[in-house]
Amino acid sequence: MPGDARADHIEGLAVRGLRLARGERTVLHNVSFDAPKGAVTALVGPSGIGKSTLLRCLNRLLVPDAGTVLLDGADTAALEPCLLRQRAGLVGQTPTMLPGSVRENLAYGLDPAAAAEEPRLTRALAAAGLDPTFLDRPASELSGGERARVALARALTRDPELLLLDEPTAALDAAVSRHIGVTLQALAHDGLGVVVATHDLPFAAGIANQVVALSDGTATVGSPAELLGGAAPSPAHDAPEISPEARA
Amino acid sequence: MSQPLTQILASAAFALAAALLAYRQRLGLSRSLLLASLRAAVQLAVVGALIALVFRVPGLAIAFVAVMVATASLTAGSRIRALPGARRIAVAAIALPALAAVGVLLAVGAFAATPRATIPTAGILIGGAMLSTTLTGRRLVEGLADGIDEIEARLSLGDRARDALAPLCRRAISGALVPLIDQTRSAGLVTLPGTFVGLVLGGASPATAARVQLTVLLTLLLVQLLSALLTAELVTRAATLPGERVLAMSR
Repeated sequence: MPGDARADHIEGLAVRGLRLARGERTVLHNVSFDAPKGAVTALVGPSGIGKSTLLRCLNRLLVPDAGTVLLDGADTAALEPCLLRQRAGLVGQTPTMLPGSVRENLAYGLDPAAAAEEPRLTRALAAAGLDPTFLDRPASELSGGERARVALARALTRDPELLLLDEPTAALDAAVSRHIGVTLQALAHDGLGVVVATHDLPFAAGIANQVVALSDGTATVGSPAELLGGAAPSPAHDAPEISPEARA
Repeated sequence: MSQPLTQILASAAFALAAALLAYRQRLGLSRSLLLASLRAAVQLAVVGALIALVFRVPGLAIAFVAVMVATASLTAGSRIRALPGARRIAVAAIALPALAAVGVLLAVGAFAATPRATIPTAGILIGGAMLSTTLTGRRLVEGLADGIDEIEARLSLGDRARDALAPLCRRAISGALVPLIDQTRSAGLVTLPGTFVGLVLGGASPATAARVQLTVLLTLLLVQLLSALLTAELVTRAATLPGERVLAMSR
């Protein structure tokens, strides 16, 4: 439970008393929740409520004014920032492609041995719903939906422990959104912690194990049934089965 | 009519024609064009009188060059004022390369160590450094606003702030040097640069004018590159926050 010292040692993220102001406006006020590994946590709330800000506090692209974020019980403020961001991969709301091919995007920043591992790259692509023919396509020529999936694959090539996703379905059609939802559930099933900020409540209801609802800078934590009772879940069972290769 | 009076009247007529044309085209530039012309006239008249004095009193040359650096730094600093320490960045990026190059040119005897040779040379190099600092700095400030998504994408993939900013810096430096490279490539073919024209009008032989112009142009290449590199380095430091984060400019 938030505030319980023993509960702070959960495997995954423990957010405690996070506060952040932007100028006169307090965006986050005493936000606390857990986002354990092996589960999908949905951050929901209307646009502009602070979901993206909260996600960026989790990997310390933003430093909160007060409060702590623990990763596996260790204060993230004390962790080396670059390593933290590799462990907790953030896929931003705008899927930014770096210059070069999809292969170069996926291999960006990896050590040469890892970058040369073709299966690592194709496995990440498959998890994001793209086939290996995408590897040598120029990233600048991809559609918005393809960019979103390559950005997800790029985060996965780093073998993160946590995946932080900001509106991952914003540029995707319903079928691809369902595929991404199934992928995220499969990744969580395999032990990854997944935190998804979304205003797509049916998507959240379809994939989340727990929900963190932001309102007026505070967070309410509950199950999808408690907090998203009115939102009909996306029919994840209609989605194409994720391949064993993608789950590997 | 005397030649000096004709020159003044002709230049005033051209400035008025530019303002009138801008007015007719509703560009909203007439006032700026007239004010800029008036300001240039006053500044050049004052400088003409001052330089005559400086040429007679060598000690004043140092003060004159200091005023040049201060003015250039204020101008370039105002273009990147969104950054913390903008003025200090501009002073360093302009003064260090330009004054070092002047020092080298005087030390090796490329120009006589007199106010008459030093002040115009320093003026050209300081002006070039100012241009390079302004262009590089503005591109960096714009990149920190419009390109923040790419920078944060790189940070999120585990880059250090300096590495995440490096592509933006390279693009800013390349862009800032394009005008100088084009000017150098086209020297003598498309344009006759100011030093060449001034020396020829002053009575120097075309060969002498060409030699001096080449010296100035090639020195400018290094000065402007160094200014751009220094600007990029200092802006990178100013925009890097603790914890491998980057200062985002408001759009």
